[in-house]
Amino acid sequence: MDPISWLLGLGSLLVFGIVVVHLLAALVLIIPTWRICTRAGFSGALSLFHLVPLIGPFIVMGVLAFSDWPNGEAPPGKR
Amino acid sequence: MGMEILGLLGLSSVFGLIGLVLAGWMAWRIVEKSGLPGWAGLGAILLTLTGIGTIVPLILLWIFAFMRWPRDEIASAAPGASARPLSPTALPPPPAALADRRAWRLSGLSAGGPVALSMDGTQPTYLLTGATAQQANELSVPDPTVGQPHARLFVSGGRLGLEDLGTPGGTRIDGARLLPEHGPRDISAARVVHVGTVELALSRA
Repeated sequence: MDPISWLLGLGSLLVFGIVVVHLLAALVLIIPTWRICTRAGFSGALSLFHLVPLIGPFIVMGVLAFSDWPNGEAPPGKR
Repeated sequence: MGMEILGLLGLSSVFGLIGLVLAGWMAWRIVEKSGLPGWAGLGAILLTLTGIGTIVPLILLWIFAFMRWPRDEIASAAPGASARPLSPTALPPPPAALADRRAWRLSGLSAGGPVALSMDGTQPTYLLTGATAQQANELSVPDPTVGQPHARLFVSGGRLGLEDLGTPGGTRIDGARLLPEHGPRDISAARVVHVGTVELALSRA
């Protein structure tokens, strides 16, 4: 096997491995975030932003932190 | 080359610091909205700086997602909220009738102007609607955020009940969201009811 093909094969394998690890890591975050979103009154699909590398978790947290929860929030006096 | 690497490391540190501050601030707000102390959220984010890395914050995220939030307890303890019985023998007694039989009054300001609704008990149920009232038991709140119909009101034993009919505008009792699956709730001790974006103050006529 020539070295170029070998390197391409190794590169493809690495990319595949990175994607799989990213999806698994995202899934570990998506499941609890899905529940938090639905409990807050948002669509659970909002948690799929975790699939976006780097800024995805910030988008989900930003929506949860800075918008009114449709299912209600704890009153300020009870926090 | 060495300076470039140091500059890159410095830049990534700055972005990392900004991300950490943002994440801590947002975690504080999210946790606070659920009724827990905000510092718990900030603390969970700051744990990522320690040797235990991200595994503990991850575990805390799972616990937070599936634990019972104080917000839910506040909502179920709200006036009129009926606690879920633990067993058939633990059913709470039905609410006692009130001696005060004056009519109930809901007043506020909608997009269509001032609203003053009176429920004197001559009808057992009233239908709250955003459309013009067609029948004696219909109460109109002319506002685009109010459904047609939006909610059902019950008058029984001097008490007032409210049931959401599942419109997008939503219904709130003293800030707590009322969902259709909650069924009718006693709102005799409530002060403010929101139908859509319209705030209605509850009082006796």
